[in-house]
Amino acid sequence: MSSFSRSAQQWATFARSWLLIDARMQPPGKIASVCSVRLQGKHKPIYHPLSDIGDHVVVMNTRHIAFSGNKWEQKVYSSHTGYPGSFKQLTAAQMHQKDPTAIIKLAVYGMLPKNLTRRTMMQRLQLFPDDLLPDDILRNLTEELPQPREIPRKLSEYTQEERDAFPMLWTPG
Amino acid sequence: MAARCVLQSAGTALRSVQSDLSSKGLLQRTLGLSQLTFLGSAPCRGLRQVVEKKDGKTTVIEGVIEPTSERPQPPNPTASCPIYRWNLQNKYNYTDVLLLSQFIRSDGGMLPRRITGLCAQEHTKIAVCVQMAHRAGELDHPRNKYCLLRCYRYLTRYSVNSVKPIYKTGLKWCKKRMTVGHPALKNNIRYSPKPLYIKH
Repeated sequence: MSSFSRSAQQWATFARSWLLIDARMQPPGKIASVCSVRLQGKHKPIYHPLSDIGDHVVVMNTRHIAFSGNKWEQKVYSSHTGYPGSFKQLTAAQMHQKDPTAIIKLAVYGMLPKNLTRRTMMQRLQLFPDDLLPDDILRNLTEELPQPREIPRKLSEYTQEERDAFPMLWTPG
Repeated sequence: MAARCVLQSAGTALRSVQSDLSSKGLLQRTLGLSQLTFLGSAPCRGLRQVVEKKDGKTTVIEGVIEPTSERPQPPNPTASCPIYRWNLQNKYNYTDVLLLSQFIRSDGGMLPRRITGLCAQEHTKIAVCVQMAHRAGELDHPRNKYCLLRCYRYLTRYSVNSVKPIYKTGLKWCKKRMTVGHPALKNNIRYSPKPLYIKH
């Protein structure tokens, strides 16, 4: 804002803010792309790849992500430590059961630029499987980001009046 | 008035003979949570009151149609398929649960085409949307146990137990893609310039 004093304006542009995103019923890829944009600082007009101006991002409810399609069964995460016989392939469902934050972590890791700043950006990403956040992180949070996917309503969430207001399309007989 | 009632009752009798299920049997069979509501609020075809009149030796038993409440009229009443009657051809999706719940039985299965009056293409589209809604957990009767494992999903085309993991995805020109959604819904109206993205 132009009405701020110089020091306040400086602080407002260069501060590293803490952002929250709720991953309940969201596709993990979309969450990861939003996180990677904020971690790099690409949402700021003062972005430069060398200046370390990314924000902190906290993702909660990573246990409740929703994959589209049959990706829980089809998507395979492979890893090899280099030693013979250590090629592991896990489906997304098995991976999620072992570690509920791993899917989003790997997705964000793959979307960040492949240079030395990637590790520092990953340290600024905090993942929590449920909505239980520690106190010091809760105190730091400033903004909540909107969810990428609109969660559709279940049939049980419609009220009786809404169900009655919907017209009958066909009649038996 | 009486003649019209007699003609209508004759017509319905003929139709019930032609169809395997009588309307009463269908109503009794399809009593589920979603169907009970419409029975109470909007009667299907006009409930009839059986009235017995005795004129000396002749007794006349007729079904007098009770006055029905005001129901919204379809914008295109001459079409044969209910979806075309209401102009919903390419406009519904797996999220429109109020629409899909009108075509399912109480245990979650689809109603036959000869009962609902849908045309073949719309029947398959509705069946596909109902399957996807079941797997997403949006309808009341969960048909997969994956909700318990907390693997939420949406737009699943294939049954959860039948799909195998893609261990080798292949090179870029021959990649084995993971499919999302169903090609039956490719003609749905889209308000963005990007086409429907089925092969992820």
